[in-house]
Amino acid sequence: MGDLVISSDNLQKSFRLGIFRKRVEALAGVSFAVEKNEIFGLLGPNGAGKTTFIKLLMGLIFPTAGSARVLGRPVPDLGAKQRIGFLPENPYFYDYLSCEELLDLMGRLFGLDARERRRRAGALLERVGLSRIVKESANLPLRKYSKGMLQRIGIAQALINDPELVVLDEPMSGLDPIGRREIRDLMVDLRREGKTVLFSTHILSDVELLCDRVAIIVDGKLRGSGPVDKLLSPRLLHTEVVLASGDRTEICEVAPDGDLDAVLRDALAAGKHVRSVTPRRESLEDLFMREVEAGTSRVSQS
Amino acid sequence: MNRVLAIALNTFREAVRNKVLYSLLVFAVAMIASVLLLAQVSLHEESRVTRDLGLGGIALFGVLIAIFVGVSLVYKEIDRKTVFALLPKPLHRFEFILGKFVGMAFTLLIQIALMTAVLFTALSLQGEFSGASAAILIRAIALITVEVMVITAVAVFFSTFTSPFLSGVFTLAVFIIGRSTPELTELVGKLENPALRFGFSAALELVPNLHLFYVSGSMVDGHAVSIHAAFVDWAYVGWAAGYGAAWAAVVLLFSMVVFSRRDFV
Repeated sequence: MGDLVISSDNLQKSFRLGIFRKRVEALAGVSFAVEKNEIFGLLGPNGAGKTTFIKLLMGLIFPTAGSARVLGRPVPDLGAKQRIGFLPENPYFYDYLSCEELLDLMGRLFGLDARERRRRAGALLERVGLSRIVKESANLPLRKYSKGMLQRIGIAQALINDPELVVLDEPMSGLDPIGRREIRDLMVDLRREGKTVLFSTHILSDVELLCDRVAIIVDGKLRGSGPVDKLLSPRLLHTEVVLASGDRTEICEVAPDGDLDAVLRDALAAGKHVRSVTPRRESLEDLFMREVEAGTSRVSQS
Repeated sequence: MNRVLAIALNTFREAVRNKVLYSLLVFAVAMIASVLLLAQVSLHEESRVTRDLGLGGIALFGVLIAIFVGVSLVYKEIDRKTVFALLPKPLHRFEFILGKFVGMAFTLLIQIALMTAVLFTALSLQGEFSGASAAILIRAIALITVEVMVITAVAVFFSTFTSPFLSGVFTLAVFIIGRSTPELTELVGKLENPALRFGFSAALELVPNLHLFYVSGSMVDGHAVSIHAAFVDWAYVGWAAGYGAAWAAVVLLFSMVVFSRRDFV
């Protein structure tokens, strides 16, 4: 195991809601670690506790129990924050500021001098694909920007301090397919530069394409963590056989204990052509649904 | 310190862009118009009316803007979720509160300075402006400034844990009680029940005595103080400013404690 960039130990968070201060458990003892220079995905359905976990790491909320360390220091720590870049979910920025003013403000908080702030802002706007828009309308306030553009600005401000750890809460939210592709490329570039990326999502394809390792959170509980292929069950679910006769195509699923030879023999005897035979193992979607359903059934039983 | 200044600069920028300072224009126009009007009807009393109107206006506008802007100063950051991007930066939570206060205080200082300039211009137009009268007015305005700062700190405090409406009600209550401290102290002194007397006296101690800051037409050390005759000296201004600064500091400290323990859900 390499250097740990994030480690959480039995991290718990509950909130008291409503007039009767009913206790709601948002995170129920989550423990896992993120290693240096990996892209780590925090996967879970809406309301699973992903954002709560990230807010705990960022010092926006305090744990009810348990502890977390980021970049080797207990959360929250100013020295660690100096080396972290963070994009909140659906980011809200001061809408009266222009794009460059926002980046300047964030740069000031990191103690960057004016020249360095200007240099980094220019490079980052180029990197997130906003430099042309900013050149055309430099003083445009952020309230005039679209959601996708705000997301790009959010990523730019998260990188203003050239961080070692980049934490992105739902970074693909509000982006069109081209934007999503660009952000995926950017995350891969960040890993290539030696940075560590933690991001939350419920979009499975992003996880499959990007993540070295994932943690699955359902109903505030960790349902598993590790490399995607290790989490998936190697068990054969079924074999998919695609047959064609004339213009018609037919698909049959053969159970693992079914007689595949007999199915193929019968099809050929009936004058059909075998187009493909594909063994189907568990996909990330199957795993995700399995964990969500297991979590839901546990909640309904309790 | 740079981080506090960054937050302060941003708070000032917001106030300017949200056109709060333009309320000054309304004040200035209204004041000059009223001076011209009153000069017609108040025989030989033009300068007195202008000074009263000017000082009253500066205090009223200063306090009103402090309450209206102050009560949403921190609340808005939480409600609009702008703190989510800011607090994970290398910034202590107390620095954030201090930055918000400094930015707001700077905004109010500029407003008061502009209102003072309008008042002096009006007095000059009437030919009633002299060095001596300016010195007296500046002492009165310095006291008003301290009062406005105390009210801002109180508004920021309520803004850290409750809605702007409730913060506004509470801050206004502190302002009214604070301004009426001598009257209320006298009333409480007349209470016959010692427990009640003690309770109300203790409650009054929880509110700053804002009467100290609006001295025109009141009694200070047994002397009637007026901007037309006897008036407080710089020593009094210094003492009152110290009292106000201590109050503002304590209230800000409480704001920082409340804010540093909050969860931002």
